[in-house]
Amino acid sequence: MPRQQLEKSLRYQEDGNVHLDFHGAVNTTIDFIVERYGIEVLHEIFAKVGKDVYRDLRQHMLDGDPDEMVRHWRHFFDRENADYDIAVGEDEIVLTVRRCTAYHHVAKIAPAVSPYFCDQTSKVNEAIAEGSAYRIDTEITGPGACRQVIRRRA
Amino acid sequence: MIPSDHFTRFYNEVFKFLESRGEEDLELYWLEISKNQERHILELIETKGFEGMYEYWSVIRDEENCDLDLIVDDEHIELHMHKCPSLTKAMDNDAEPMERYCDHCAGWIGPIMDKTGYHLVYDAISRTEPRCVSRIFKDPAKAREAEKSARLLMSWPGRKAKQDGSKP
Repeated sequence: MPRQQLEKSLRYQEDGNVHLDFHGAVNTTIDFIVERYGIEVLHEIFAKVGKDVYRDLRQHMLDGDPDEMVRHWRHFFDRENADYDIAVGEDEIVLTVRRCTAYHHVAKIAPAVSPYFCDQTSKVNEAIAEGSAYRIDTEITGPGACRQVIRRRA
Repeated sequence: MIPSDHFTRFYNEVFKFLESRGEEDLELYWLEISKNQERHILELIETKGFEGMYEYWSVIRDEENCDLDLIVDDEHIELHMHKCPSLTKAMDNDAEPMERYCDHCAGWIGPIMDKTGYHLVYDAISRTEPRCVSRIFKDPAKAREAEKSARLLMSWPGRKAKQDGSKP
């Protein structure tokens, strides 16, 4: 039996087409929130996404199972045809994004990519891992490129 | 990256925050999204009219995996959404759905139709069922007639003011 059929589905498993223009709406939303309410409010909204929308991912982290996060990354970065790889080591799991589809799509369709665009990644990651034995650190390595590292808290 | 598949759940969180700040905040956001959407639909409407709208929503139907029927003729276009993926995802959500989630759709489409001289009749049917019917007319009298059969008629920023004539 194919491996995929043996694995439990993700909480938000998706199939069908993708609508990349949604990333443009995220970009517009980020600028709108920051301009009117400030960066702290934007981060609060992303924290809610990490804790409430991704409650299942967060529960896996709290249960000491970071592999679900890896499955989540693979599923959605594959769906968006990103250029990335994931290295699973004993001490850390490293997602290296060489070309982020979201960032580059926004760069193509919007007047400008918000300077806070990648906060969606870093702040949602932080919230998913908050209170667990792990942390997820996001390092922006270039326009539309980053490293996301899951490691045990010291 | 919040996957594009999960945008609607992010959207839902934004709506809840804005609703907590007040109706005006929510409407200003819809207007901002409406301006964002102009990049995708405005030229199509201005150059091709109903055919341009058909073109736009055909792409949406495919890319967003909508169960959507489109009917177009010289006088109007109808969108029959049998299963809206946006509300479906907002409801299939570990976070609480915003009760007025559906309102955003008229909230961004309506101002574009006002701007381009068309008349939107948006029947959400129910805010807890992922289906709706939208009709867009060139003739305002036909739009007013169509409003009579709507089960849950949506409004948008500027619509009420136009109806009672208090603003141009």
